[in-house]
Amino acid sequence: MNTPIVRLSSISKHFGSTQVLDGLDFQVLPGQVIGLLGRNGAGKSTLLECLLGLRETEGGSVTLFGEDVNALSDATRARIGYVPQKSDLFEWMTPRQLLDYFKALYPRWNAAKVDALLARWGFDALMQNKAISKLSGGEQQRLSIIRALGPDPDLLVLDEPVSALDPVGRRDFLRELIDGVIEHGTTVVFSTHILSDLERVALDVAFLKDGKIALQGPLDDLLEGARRMTAPGAGPAAPMSLEDLFIEVTQ
Amino acid sequence: MATHPAQSFSIVTGSSEPIYRQLVEQVRRLIAAGQMAPGDSLPSVREVAQVLALNPMTVSKAYGLLEMEGLLSRQRGMGMRVAERVGKPRSTASRAELLRPILERAALEARQLELDPDTVLSLFTHILKEHA
Repeated sequence: MNTPIVRLSSISKHFGSTQVLDGLDFQVLPGQVIGLLGRNGAGKSTLLECLLGLRETEGGSVTLFGEDVNALSDATRARIGYVPQKSDLFEWMTPRQLLDYFKALYPRWNAAKVDALLARWGFDALMQNKAISKLSGGEQQRLSIIRALGPDPDLLVLDEPVSALDPVGRRDFLRELIDGVIEHGTTVVFSTHILSDLERVALDVAFLKDGKIALQGPLDDLLEGARRMTAPGAGPAAPMSLEDLFIEVTQ
Repeated sequence: MATHPAQSFSIVTGSSEPIYRQLVEQVRRLIAAGQMAPGDSLPSVREVAQVLALNPMTVSKAYGLLEMEGLLSRQRGMGMRVAERVGKPRSTASRAELLRPILERAALEARQLELDPDTVLSLFTHILKEHA
């Protein structure tokens, strides 16, 4: 039961002479909701892309649902949803055409959920038939999220899913994540810089630093265990917020 | 016996106090003050999670701890209720004690800001009266 759904074992990745991942190990258990944190350029997107088999790794191994990521069966592939940081939608299509296209690709596609999300997230008839290239960044991001949720994935990977959304859009997204995804036991891995959103939904956090997972654990335990180091005689150690912890761990 | 809506609760992010702990302390305070009376129903985990935009597990964790402490009891098919009180309503002193964690935190920050007790106390008095 507690076999990891995602298992990365000592993977490395260079871009030119820059080492982004350095013998990294990372595991995700079924039903976990993990927030991936790290500074800009720490390699979060690279890590998520390697995790999904979108980038080749140097050495090590990546398995998803127990299968080698480079030889995933179609059935396993259909269980994974991904929202990339940069929209990779077919820009010449309309939202409706795009969703119909993906609907045909997946054996399981929750059309009722997709239609409900389109309605709730402001995709009226006019917008559904507009070229994706004409949509705003926030609208494209919402469409990308709807596309990823369409097949009711068992594993959802989100790379900065709310970076282009305003506070209302972010809250709508969080509510959908809570009600439509987490409640169903879906495993979620997401990277974000918006700590307040992470605190609301992630039970676990992982910090990426120097190409490795520097710290991973339940958020509540990390907050309760963390005390800022103070110089001797400077008084009692102060409790830390997630933001304090982020700065402490990633600097 | 009242039914309390999920809006009875509020949480803040960016705190060093985990969200489940904030919920636990809130229920404890509301019960101590008598605003939640024995037999009152609490909102369901799902309602609280939806209204406050929280992971339902965080809410379950808070309810579970309060149940273990005997402040809440789970009623089959009826959700969580405030447990029948053993003994009398709590004294002023024991209710005040519930404020200790947050006041200790404030005291720490006051010391870091090098504020003298009188300044801090008059500010606190002011805040208390402002919202009374």
